[in-house]
Amino acid sequence: MTRPYIPWLLLALALVLAAFYLFPLYWMYVTSLKSGSEIFANPPTFWPVAPDPSVYSSVWTRRTMQTFLGNSVFIASGVTAITVILGTGCAYVLARYRSVWVDIGLFLILMLQVLPASVMITPLFVGFNQIGLLNFPREAVILAAAAKSMPFFVVLVRATFMSVPRELEEAALVDGNSRVGAFFSIVLPLARNGILVCAILTFMSSFGEYIYSKSIIQDSSLQPASVGLSGFLGPNSTDWNAIMAYSAIYVTPILAVFVLLQRRIVSGLTSGALK
Amino acid sequence: MSRFFNSMRDGVGFDLILVGAALLFLLVLAGLPLVYNVLMSFQQVDMFTLGSLFRPWAGFDNYVAVVQQPEFWLVTKNTLIFVFASMAGQFVLGFALAVFFAQNFPGAATIRGLFLVSWVMPGLVVGAIWSWILAGDFGVLNTILKALGLIDGTIFWKSDPAYSIWAVVIANIWLGLAFNMLLLSVGLAAIPRDLYEAAELDGANAFQRFWTITLPMMRSTIGAVLSLGLIGTLQQFDLFPAITEGGPANTSTVAGYWSWQMSFQLYDFAKGATISVMMFLLVLFASIIYVRSTRHEVRG
Amino acid sequence: MKLKHLGLMAGVALGAMGMAAPAMAQVTLKIWSIDGNDRVGIADTYSKEFDEANEDIVVEYRAIPFDDLVNETLRAFATGNAPDIVSFDNPDFALFSSRGAMLDITDRVAASEIIKPENYFEGPLNSVSWDGKLFGIPKYTDTIGVFYNKDLFAKAGITEPPKTWAEFTEYAEKLTDPANNVYGATFSARAGEEGTFQFLPIIQMSGGGYDNVNTEGAAAVLDLWKKMVDNGWASKDVLSLGQWDSTGTFNSGNAAMAISGPWEIDRMVEDAKFDWGVALLPTIEEGGDRSSALGGFDWGIMSTTKHPDEAFRALEYFAAQDGRIFEEFGNIPARSDIELPVTGVALKDAALVVFQEQLQYAQPRGPHPEWQKISKAIYDAMQAALTGQMSSKDALDQAQATIKGILG
Repeated sequence: MTRPYIPWLLLALALVLAAFYLFPLYWMYVTSLKSGSEIFANPPTFWPVAPDPSVYSSVWTRRTMQTFLGNSVFIASGVTAITVILGTGCAYVLARYRSVWVDIGLFLILMLQVLPASVMITPLFVGFNQIGLLNFPREAVILAAAAKSMPFFVVLVRATFMSVPRELEEAALVDGNSRVGAFFSIVLPLARNGILVCAILTFMSSFGEYIYSKSIIQDSSLQPASVGLSGFLGPNSTDWNAIMAYSAIYVTPILAVFVLLQRRIVSGLTSGALK
Repeated sequence: MSRFFNSMRDGVGFDLILVGAALLFLLVLAGLPLVYNVLMSFQQVDMFTLGSLFRPWAGFDNYVAVVQQPEFWLVTKNTLIFVFASMAGQFVLGFALAVFFAQNFPGAATIRGLFLVSWVMPGLVVGAIWSWILAGDFGVLNTILKALGLIDGTIFWKSDPAYSIWAVVIANIWLGLAFNMLLLSVGLAAIPRDLYEAAELDGANAFQRFWTITLPMMRSTIGAVLSLGLIGTLQQFDLFPAITEGGPANTSTVAGYWSWQMSFQLYDFAKGATISVMMFLLVLFASIIYVRSTRHEVRG
Repeated sequence: MKLKHLGLMAGVALGAMGMAAPAMAQVTLKIWSIDGNDRVGIADTYSKEFDEANEDIVVEYRAIPFDDLVNETLRAFATGNAPDIVSFDNPDFALFSSRGAMLDITDRVAASEIIKPENYFEGPLNSVSWDGKLFGIPKYTDTIGVFYNKDLFAKAGITEPPKTWAEFTEYAEKLTDPANNVYGATFSARAGEEGTFQFLPIIQMSGGGYDNVNTEGAAAVLDLWKKMVDNGWASKDVLSLGQWDSTGTFNSGNAAMAISGPWEIDRMVEDAKFDWGVALLPTIEEGGDRSSALGGFDWGIMSTTKHPDEAFRALEYFAAQDGRIFEEFGNIPARSDIELPVTGVALKDAALVVFQEQLQYAQPRGPHPEWQKISKAIYDAMQAALTGQMSSKDALDQAQATIKGILG
């Protein structure tokens, strides 16, 4: 308005904040390029003395990262599919009504989140073993991890459905649509953006699934990248530049996708379906 | 019979199927393990009975034994510090950033997106990176703080009992910031613009507008963020083994990590389950807050 | 004629089937160990060799990270999915052997041409024994000593490595050089098995043991350690650094002495840009009792195996390769009948001689089925003292009370 420089000041501040916030990522990349002893140098160097990118190719091949990442994609896709299919309907219903039963439903969904995965794994392992699911370890992990990501998905998508005007659905019902018809032809398309974004976020967070995979999947050719990473972290075998290189290879693709899609992700979530 | 199918297609039955499928799934994959843990906390467990449900009954012995552990009160204190400090940090910073990025300036949406990267970072990787940044002698955080003149000596974030819990808190705030900011941004965006414009015409200043419009309108969002934040914080595990391993001398052990340590490092599965059941109480509390907060929701 | 042919062919066919039968009835052995996670190790290499050398046996090898090995095995054992052969860190072995989860191989060993108990060092052999029976064989062994930077020693005018802990502390003070970011000493007092691994030898050399930890000598040395940490002669981060990271600071020249073991040698030869040597762990008084930690892994067969004979054959194969493990993997065999080859790398050969002497003083942790709880009592006490939350004496007294409760 009267002070046109204010937006630019804000931009500058935003950039400073972002640089501050993203420093850990920068540090990951820089450390990965350092030599074994430079890593332990005191004071630390902010830019590697002799950047050595060869660690990337050696980590990639020596650690069979292609297989690991493939498995991560497989597991994350499965988790996302189950979460979206089961969670969307649930969120829709919980957004549609305002009653004590909805309270109870929400309450249950949250309560089932109580135990950390590290505590849940023993009973799940025992149960999966009983029904023979351990022979399909990746699928077993998908089931277990989907149960973990479902509540967050339901809560987020429920908010999206709340922003779909009730009148539109009612109008469709008056026009002679069945509930099923109104859900699929009116409500779902209107909430599509929000659901899509939540699905992407679910995918990305299950890309890092670790605790279930490490216990359930014994065959290393089926394990995801997180388990592959933990193989490094044992005592007396820590090799920080390789760990950081591995981490960088692991997260860079998700980060890249994320940065490319982030405008849509943010607007999909913040603008609701219609506004 | 046809009424039944009709109801499934066109009535309450449809809703029940949608909710039922999800709830059934959760009950089997999350409910049963929960029951198993509660049961285990009342039993004597060893490596031979790990796979069965029926074991010698122990009554409240495990609970008494857990409370009598010398580190019990220390762990309780740490858990409270960790939960409240993490949540306060995540929430306040997340709210501030959400409000900041809701302002109209070039690149606001793009830069806000960058703040969401911690959401997609695997906890294991975040732990490894922060462990590295927080190291005492070769950690870069100390170097930066010293260069800025904020500290004189080296702070041993991971090894000084006065700081160890805060080391994990810092990493956890970083990790949880994205989630908080995202949800709060969603809430902010849902507040109709005209409310602010009307208030501005009435002469309300920025602070008054925040206090009388933003906060009340955000009530349900804030409830959701806080309760989900509490659950997320209590479940936080990956950072502990990566950064402090609960040390030194248990000064950064929290309930979740302690439970894991009991079960998987000391192989005392019953006590591990007992601690997890105790955590249950805290989450019960969080869930009630969340569900109550949804009462104030407005449908757009 | 035709009939005769037929008969012959039938005979050949039958014979072929007879030949094929053992190959068809292949036995699958599951072997678990931590080797092969980040680099080639003993267990993965030998498992593969054994698999290839035996037509009738298929080996399914699984590498598990160190921290998960015991858990995974416990859970698998409880649900009937246990491996046939597993390799544990020596203090973890008793958890399984004492509960009948490991196969008693006393008689098989007695009948074996290859495995002879008398060839093994006493400490490692103790860790696989329980109740007078043998449940496994040692895989390799290691111990700890003091690495010292000879260049920094010369600069500080010190000629000999420290003989007592008092000397160690005194030298640490002299060697500390904050201007150049040099600490006098580094070690690992971490909240975990590594912490116990480094501190228990001090309890032992003071006349105590894991069942008697609150000795005066141990409290006195713990006070010295605290003095080093408090005065900045050792980094406060010794409380959270593992041995590998701690020794990393030595290699980069940021610490003048480091307590660690032979697994460091190869990296040190490559990374350290100074002259260094290894000395025995100091004693409490000059000429006092020596002790050191006993590290290393053991092999064992799980009692649930369906193929004990084949599994024992695998163990025999592994034991027969002991002569190769130092050259190929840098591990020291737990046997007195194996002469270690000279590598030609002077620093490495010199270090090895010291570690072999040190091994004679190495004492096992336990064996005790609840070792992990005992270990936690010890490292908790050590950390409580080093962080000043309790006096050394009080901390060790509390640990003693806890341990007494565990031992019953």
